[in-house]
Amino acid sequence: MASATESDLISGRTDSTEAVAGIAVGLAALLFALSLATFFDVVSVTGTLVGVPVVPLVGGLLILLGGAIITFGIGSYLGYVETTPSPTAGLVAAVAAAVPWFVAGVSVGSIMLGSGSAGGVVLGLVTGAVAFAATAFPREDLGSTLPIGALSILAGLVLLSGIIGPEWVWDLGWEQQASLTAGFVVPALTLATSLYVGWAAAKAYGGFGARGRHVGAYALVYVNALSIVAVLVILLAFTVFRGIPGLLTGAEIGLGVGPEVGLFGLSVQLPVSLPFVMNGVALLNDYQGVLPAIVGTFWLVIGAVLFAVPLGIGAAIFLTEYAERGRFTQAVEVATNGLWSTPSIVFGLFGFAFLIPRFGNGKSLLSGMLTLGFMLLPLVLITSREAMLSVPDEYRDASAALGVTKWQTIRSVVLPAALPGVVTGVILGVGRIAGETAPILLTMAGGTFVPGSQTVDVIGGFKFTATPPFVANPELLQATSALPYQLFALITAGVGLGDSVANPNDFRWATALILLVVVLSFYAIGIGARYYFRRKLQYE
Amino acid sequence: MSETTHSERTDTDSTIETTAGETIEQVQESWTDYKFQGEAKLTSEGLDVYYGDDHALKDVTIEIPEKSVTALIGPSGCGKSTFLRSLNRMNDRIRSARVDGSVQFDGKEIYQEGIDLVELRKRVGMVFQSPNPFPKSIHENITYGPRKHGDIETGLLARLLGRDDWDEAEELVEQSLRQAALWDEVADRLDDNALGLSGGQQQRLCIARCLSVDPEVILMDEPASALDPIATSKIEDLIHDLAEDYTVVIVTHNMQQAARISDQTAVFLTGGKLVEYDDTDKIFENPESQRVEDYITGKFG
Repeated sequence: MASATESDLISGRTDSTEAVAGIAVGLAALLFALSLATFFDVVSVTGTLVGVPVVPLVGGLLILLGGAIITFGIGSYLGYVETTPSPTAGLVAAVAAAVPWFVAGVSVGSIMLGSGSAGGVVLGLVTGAVAFAATAFPREDLGSTLPIGALSILAGLVLLSGIIGPEWVWDLGWEQQASLTAGFVVPALTLATSLYVGWAAAKAYGGFGARGRHVGAYALVYVNALSIVAVLVILLAFTVFRGIPGLLTGAEIGLGVGPEVGLFGLSVQLPVSLPFVMNGVALLNDYQGVLPAIVGTFWLVIGAVLFAVPLGIGAAIFLTEYAERGRFTQAVEVATNGLWSTPSIVFGLFGFAFLIPRFGNGKSLLSGMLTLGFMLLPLVLITSREAMLSVPDEYRDASAALGVTKWQTIRSVVLPAALPGVVTGVILGVGRIAGETAPILLTMAGGTFVPGSQTVDVIGGFKFTATPPFVANPELLQATSALPYQLFALITAGVGLGDSVANPNDFRWATALILLVVVLSFYAIGIGARYYFRRKLQYE
Repeated sequence: MSETTHSERTDTDSTIETTAGETIEQVQESWTDYKFQGEAKLTSEGLDVYYGDDHALKDVTIEIPEKSVTALIGPSGCGKSTFLRSLNRMNDRIRSARVDGSVQFDGKEIYQEGIDLVELRKRVGMVFQSPNPFPKSIHENITYGPRKHGDIETGLLARLLGRDDWDEAEELVEQSLRQAALWDEVADRLDDNALGLSGGQQQRLCIARCLSVDPEVILMDEPASALDPIATSKIEDLIHDLAEDYTVVIVTHNMQQAARISDQTAVFLTGGKLVEYDDTDKIFENPESQRVEDYITGKFG
């Protein structure tokens, strides 16, 4: 007869067993997705789904899910389902089951039974302890299914019975007049419960025991990874959908509709007119746009990178290749990390109080560039240093053994090998500074809107004189705008939009979309550069 | 320079030691009578190396003849790699390392003020234990040294100035790779990344890279220990051929390898002491020292 160890080797479980557990996992995943959709208003709590009101539907599904997982657990315990459970579900599972049951006990005690906070805590302790015991003491197949399945049924009943209905509001009664609505509580309850049951169902799917725990853990970390992608996608989609109408206001395609663009003396009329990104703000504009802010952001990032990258890489070279490890390098490390943790508003204040009086005594593009450069510096230094430290010493030895000097070795071997890492650091840093608002507010930004005619022209701004300072660039010393600041001003003040912006809300979302696109473009350039340098280092 | 003996050291040492210690010391110092054919290329006298408080190499005196293969063998931690690295001052790169005593290359002291490390390391090249080609193309790996020394110019500026040594570079690459017995395998993919080669090919590329700066001595630190038997045998054949034109000093853990490829063998034993130095045949067939015999026959170390 097959003993326990043999059944581990060759699984005796049937397809139907796997199917039951698989359905439970799928149901939990469906509920998870449904709760996310409700969170982001894709599904409304007051609405219906396939003809059924959403809240009772979710409640029914939760009861079904809880029932399925409990049935599976009992079936496994009675031997109808062949599994390989451990003697106990373990401490982690017991604590994990006790926490939601404690919360459920407190809620039931304090709201529904009306016994006040103290009574709620007592009830919560009791239910938590029972759930802990029910998980920890029985065999794993019962312990990891019963408390969590019961939790799911309880949550389902609360929703199905209408105790928490679509119109449910809990006035917290504090001074802030805060209240919890069904719009938040229903998806939150569903999300938490579906995660718990999904975990239990995944363990059941793996047949409990070591394999079951592996499947359970896999399901949880998979959901984690998926959530990160989901957050990005949702955020992007949210911004894109709301930003597109404003972006396309007054857009035209056709010969001769766009503005003229001069390049190297050649003047070309663009076949596309997109006023939002091609106009500034002017009284007589048909449509207002954010071109000055886009150009401002662009130059701001370029300036900050040009300032911070050479300095940061140089300092990293000194610290990794030349300086002896000791007090000084440690002090530099602490200073760097401190600089990286410094709030951006403090950098802004520094720029405001220190740089502005020294550069023309007014807010200027140059002050903004330098302030953001200071912010970028520590990250470039830290990542460049890490990248150089990870270049194998064998390369340095090989180079030294050929009689090549240290500086030549650094330039020809260490830096090329460290470049992908350095570029990664710059990408991360640019992503941060391109979206900074506070330092720009204090050092660079002029009024809320900059007229289109004042779009900063750094290259054309250089002027050469016969007397000192010989080279001057008034453009760098002018106040201008940048996208994050403009967005901030639009949201907080909303001034100056005038009649030519039909829908201020669309205008704001479009600004946010353009900011996102600009930052992601820098990111894409960085990724491309990193890919290029990495390709050069690798074979195939 | 040839046929030097160090009788004065033998005398002082043996007179100081007593009874049991005396016999050992006398046997240990017997190598100083070793006479080889030809000129000495490298000479060390009373060489001590310390890593911090650790006395890694103790009073090593040895003469290494030119255009031959000298093997340094001994158990791990006996100082043979340390000795090798002190011959082209690679120990300078270890911050805690301190060197006392003298090493002479062609009769010139290398541990003196004003020595040109670039020139020294060009003449005394080194090949490391694990293959360490640069993450560049095969071509760039070979031309790296000469380009950095300004011996050949292939850069953009050189091309603009009409000083492009492209033909010389091609010639150098082919010659170095042929010397390292790698040309036939890589001739059609010189622009591929060197990291795409197999371990044995990478190591021969490192040897070719070392040859590209036209050294006189090649120091090898267990060059075959990371390689499979076939690659190892190729490297060994190569070392044998190289000894016709170059002075090769090789550290190895593999005693059969030392016996196969070297002309003379120096045995270092625990504590950083050179215990015996003689013709390889003599060392492996009839060593003077009991400890060396024990080590070679596998009873110790």
